[in-house]
Amino acid sequence: MTFRVLDPTTEKAPPAGILAPRLDTLEGKTIGFISNGKEGTKGFFKHLDQMLRDEYGVAKVVSRSKSNYSAPADKHIVDEIKGWDAVVSGLGD
Amino acid sequence: MQLASKTYDANDISAVQELYHSSGWTDGLPIVPPTAEAVKACLDWAMMPPDQLIGIEPVRGLAITAEKLAINAVMAGCLPMHFPVVITAWMAMMQDEFLMHGATASTGGCAVLVVLNGPIRLELGASGTFNVLGNSDRATAVIGRAVRLCLINLMDVRPGVIDRSTLGHPGKFSYCLAEDEEDSSWLPLHEQRGVERAASAVTVLAAGAPRQLMNEWTTEPKEILETFAAEMRANLRHYSIHPGTYALIIPKQLREHLQVAGWTKTDIAEFIHERARIHRREWADVGKGAVVRDRGDSVYPAMESPDQLLIVAAGGPAGGFGAVIPPWLGHKSHAVTLPLGVCVDCEPPK
Repeated sequence: MTFRVLDPTTEKAPPAGILAPRLDTLEGKTIGFISNGKEGTKGFFKHLDQMLRDEYGVAKVVSRSKSNYSAPADKHIVDEIKGWDAVVSGLGD
Repeated sequence: MQLASKTYDANDISAVQELYHSSGWTDGLPIVPPTAEAVKACLDWAMMPPDQLIGIEPVRGLAITAEKLAINAVMAGCLPMHFPVVITAWMAMMQDEFLMHGATASTGGCAVLVVLNGPIRLELGASGTFNVLGNSDRATAVIGRAVRLCLINLMDVRPGVIDRSTLGHPGKFSYCLAEDEEDSSWLPLHEQRGVERAASAVTVLAAGAPRQLMNEWTTEPKEILETFAAEMRANLRHYSIHPGTYALIIPKQLREHLQVAGWTKTDIAEFIHERARIHRREWADVGKGAVVRDRGDSVYPAMESPDQLLIVAAGGPAGGFGAVIPPWLGHKSHAVTLPLGVCVDCEPPK
């Protein structure tokens, strides 16, 4: 018996969780951090900030924290992303 | 009725299963093939066209249509008569106060608890008695499963993709129950939360796994409820100190002691609100001394107010058991109750 069955997905939506293309170099780039605001992020992002500047020649690090760690990033943070070369997010607990 | 979804041809039932499993469209269990005929039957029952907009999900702003919900409902095993409950559950989940993003993506690993009230339970054969938090009946099994399959397929809530749960729990397959309204003198949950008793309603809560308790050695209401409160205190100590919407499942044996003594759901909630609270210093007793800091004397209640407690009369007739169902993240995600019905021209009530 042949079945003709239907696609259960939204079809139109871009797949979630796809990483952006890698940068060729971090030298001179602007990197944004989006912290979820949890306790453990403070030390992690402070260390990463220093490492990116000292070891990889990153020109500028912009740090932002979400107002609610369980909700999407605030609109004003998302609006800033287009001014960054890369963003580090989804980390820290 | 013209459906818009892409179609696939499969030679036999095994090929259907492999297509859906290999595409990541299932929860790991076999699905019912979502044919156009079966999907149209659901839409007909709900009196909805395929492109009926059920809502805009609040995470990526995707339109959730009746057709896509119906496809997933069929896959879960829903009959047409189950479909309106799935629609209403999703409408409730898309309300801002539910916080769908966190409730579906969090490492905390909660599931969507769905509670059915009103005449629809009887029409569907949803049982609120034996094995109520397990495989109690067909209706609650497939409705709960449909809610999860919709999350998987409409919002990519797949393990390791959007679903970042560290552990999750078995309720993520299906987490739906009906209140045993016929064998209870209490107000049903939906009426307690502002819906007419004669209406049917769905309540959703982003919830952890049930914590079962037992006290068969008293008939005294305060002693019975102290066991529930102690389980909530344990959750405050061991899991999260944040207050929020807890659910208590109270089966018949313990329920009758409370009802005979004249305790209403409101009385219970007020008692629990007073008793289910801890001092922050208690975290030091369970290995969390590092976060007590200078706030050891601060008191943390399990709920912000008594009305946050969802009390559900349900469970088999014998056994001095009960269950506490804790919130995923109480102060940020709240339970939502919506009446069941087709409303094409109005906003769902808040």
